[in-house]
Amino acid sequence: MATGEEKPVMVVGMDESEQSTYALEWTLDRFFAPYAPNFPFKLFIVHAKPNAVSAVGLAGPGAAEVLPYVDTDLKHIAARVIEMAKGICQSKSVDGAMFEVFEGDARSILCDVVDKHHASLLVVGSHGYGAIKRAVLGSVSDYCAHHAHCSVMIVKKPKIKH
Amino acid sequence: METYVDAIGVDTEATTTETTAKQNKKKLKVMVAMDESKNSFYALEWAVEHLRDVISAEPETDQAGGLLTLVHVHPTYLQYIYPSGGTASAMYAIDSVPESMKKAREESTTKLFTRSLEICRGKLVKTETMILEGDPKEMICQAVEQTHVDLLVVGSRGLGMIKRAFLGSVSDYCAQHAKCPILIVRPPRETSTSSSTKEHKSK
Repeated sequence: MATGEEKPVMVVGMDESEQSTYALEWTLDRFFAPYAPNFPFKLFIVHAKPNAVSAVGLAGPGAAEVLPYVDTDLKHIAARVIEMAKGICQSKSVDGAMFEVFEGDARSILCDVVDKHHASLLVVGSHGYGAIKRAVLGSVSDYCAHHAHCSVMIVKKPKIKH
Repeated sequence: METYVDAIGVDTEATTTETTAKQNKKKLKVMVAMDESKNSFYALEWAVEHLRDVISAEPETDQAGGLLTLVHVHPTYLQYIYPSGGTASAMYAIDSVPESMKKAREESTTKLFTRSLEICRGKLVKTETMILEGDPKEMICQAVEQTHVDLLVVGSRGLGMIKRAFLGSVSDYCAQHAKCPILIVRPPRETSTSSSTKEHKSK
């Protein structure tokens, strides 16, 4: 089968938060589900598993013993996230998506994945942090919006005020 | 809708998935924020090309197209305010804009929209234009709220962190405050550095 036209690549960054799930569902709903089986994009779903050492942070003397537990925990979370992503894709009848897990800092991982796959579009959720939280915790969506080498779509879970 | 008679779940579920599928098939309402910069036009071209599938009408399946709104905000420049001090000066900004400046602005806006509509031509999507006045970032977010668009598209000047802190970034502000998902289109790397140096040199 000839390669023919190559579909543009879309990368969706996922973590275990609700906002990520919402972002994936929104994207699948609008960009994939209605167009089965000819999806307009090739989809990669990427989860960045934080490094156990960075997750524990500046811990005290007990850190070395805690590390293996933290690591196993993070691995479980990563597996759960991918399972959930697969479930969402299945429920929307979206197939052909690739799932990847990398270890390290989410910001650099997402930007690297974009480069690796020559993605046209990166989709991330947003925790909706306020200015102070952003300054302290940092914002992955912010970083990606300014450093990724492709266009970035930030999908926010709407706060319903009625 | 005859399955409503069967109140017990089996058939109604089928119709609800059908209706949600039809609803989701509805094409997106996309708003693109425009100014005269090259990145804005690039963003519009990018959006029209990559979002073609989700906004264009499909005549074969009788699917109505979405809506593409091009919004341009006239910033109210502070230099139009005569130095009179006090908070009242903010009100003068709109009224005291000299006539010639107004005309020049209208001309540039018309040129901007003519170019933009050229880009959107033939893409099978209803396009409309909107002109607002005020602070660009706030007006864009307000427009998003009022028109309930599905997606906001903005270009990005590709400013570094320090410039962004001082000059402010419309895309940054909108990313944080807009009530809908936002798509930030980054200029291709080569053109971003050259256009920023060009902008500096021309000023």
